[in-house]
Amino acid sequence: MPLKLFCCDECIPERKNHVYIKEEGEDTTDFLPLSNIDTIAGSLSERGCSYCGAKLVIGGVIKDCIQMIHGPVGCAYDTWHTKRYPSDNDNFQLKYIWSSDTKEKHIVFGAEKQLKKAIMEAFQEFPAIKRMFVYTTCTTALIGDNPKAVCREVQEELEDVDIFVVECPGFAGVSQSKGHHELNIGWMRDKIGTLEPEITSEYTINVIGDYNIQGDTYVLQKYLDKMGIQVIAHFTGNVTYDQLRCMHRAKLNVVNCARSAGYIANELKRVYDIPRMDVDTWGFEYVKVALRKIGAFFGLEDKAEEVIAEEVAKYEGKLDWYKERLKGKQICIWTGGPRLWHWTKALEDDLGMEVVAMSSKFGHQEDFEKVIARGRIGTIYIDDGNELEFFEVLDNIHADLIFTGPRVGDLVKKLHIPYINGHAYHNGPYMGFEGAVNMARDMYNAIYSPMWKLAGKDPRETDSPMWSLTEKDSGVVQES
Amino acid sequence: MNEKIEEITALIQERCLWQFFSRSWDREENIEGIMTMTGKILNGEKINLVTPADKAFYSDAKNLAADIQNKMPWISELDKSGILELVEGVKKRLLHITVKKSRNCELNLPNY
Repeated sequence: MPLKLFCCDECIPERKNHVYIKEEGEDTTDFLPLSNIDTIAGSLSERGCSYCGAKLVIGGVIKDCIQMIHGPVGCAYDTWHTKRYPSDNDNFQLKYIWSSDTKEKHIVFGAEKQLKKAIMEAFQEFPAIKRMFVYTTCTTALIGDNPKAVCREVQEELEDVDIFVVECPGFAGVSQSKGHHELNIGWMRDKIGTLEPEITSEYTINVIGDYNIQGDTYVLQKYLDKMGIQVIAHFTGNVTYDQLRCMHRAKLNVVNCARSAGYIANELKRVYDIPRMDVDTWGFEYVKVALRKIGAFFGLEDKAEEVIAEEVAKYEGKLDWYKERLKGKQICIWTGGPRLWHWTKALEDDLGMEVVAMSSKFGHQEDFEKVIARGRIGTIYIDDGNELEFFEVLDNIHADLIFTGPRVGDLVKKLHIPYINGHAYHNGPYMGFEGAVNMARDMYNAIYSPMWKLAGKDPRETDSPMWSLTEKDSGVVQES
Repeated sequence: MNEKIEEITALIQERCLWQFFSRSWDREENIEGIMTMTGKILNGEKINLVTPADKAFYSDAKNLAADIQNKMPWISELDKSGILELVEGVKKRLLHITVKKSRNCELNLPNY
């Protein structure tokens, strides 16, 4: 029974090809769920659009850019600050959002003039900012606007500004993954190699596929600083536009999220002969491996061991406390793509938990190969899962906790199952040694919260625990 | 020997990521480079790191070799030819799973 058709999908039998349950002795040559293809008409989807993949995931994180969204204002709001990626320049990228605010008349008569007006106005309002991303959306792509021509005009007029155009409207691909791809390849084509960095160490790297969610990047930066390694660019957590233009000068590309940013690492390998090293930076044991691998590349093994010893001494005891209380707990990971394969073995090895169901919104075949290779026998693996399927999974398995986004999170909370925000975290960072402890603490607090015992109770029922809270304690005498 | 090959293949599948790079050529290159280097480390051979790619293979291989030595005590009982046979067997098995019989239809797309 390796590929499974859920009861709720009986009217959409093609969904069977997207759900797999692993059995003993099988590997990914036997079964691999279909993924990264169109959502089947008639089924629901949790996916985001291609423009969202470019803007929300990658471009919007950069800390010193105007992010001009060429389209209706709603497209701007929907990719605003929900990821909580801070920066050390007072969170400029979280405070503002820009849109050309196109209306029906612009769509009828063309929106290029409106775009130019918006760009000029934005640079005027933020005179200290000289870098900009411009994104097309479905509306402006459909009418055939040429934002690159507009931006060339602006660059000629203003001279000291630099603009990068991402032409990836929402409909460009089947999910947000297409936006990751387009931005990666576009940046490689147009911007890398156009500026030289100041080199301060003989050990230089790019950290690729890390977006500083709640300070993840700061954690990695701290370790790398202690090892004497210069990070030319973080793609794209807490980074500047110009640092990203210098990526060609790194000696090594360290890749965390291979789904959103593996493309640029592959191109840097192909064009500049910079090796790509994939690492897991979530998970206590995995971080040790990541630091050892980077150390071995540069001959800095001793420095890596120093960092590991220092961090393990600080955090191992705390992690052990949570392990005692979390081992055996069953969880589901229903996130975008890579967190499935990053987290599954980390949670099982570090904390003794059991991952019983995984779902990926935009993962490709490669991601499912990794997920299934690392996953347990009997675990359910779903591509592009939807609410009805999630309900059915929860009817058939026991789950103590769900790692997912706020939309599905609210859904499972109504079933009185706790959830942790797997996209933007509850109380991160989750990366590195301290991050592994933060993640364990959030899971412990979620699972053991007394709220769940009360959530489904009717306070009008006399046997409800709510009543015991309001009853007078006979041992207490209150003087009037 | 087949059991040992399967044991190491399972360890790599669970712990490593390099066998699942995006393209067939990338996977083949990593499997050949890292497993050859792992064999040299396990056999105590002298290693010359010349190119950036050599260094990358070495760093992954060093970690894998340490993992094998920690988790599989039987490795110390194999002689040099035994290690080579093991490494070649693992290469073949990984190529089978991740390249030759892979169901990943994106492996050979020219534009990702």
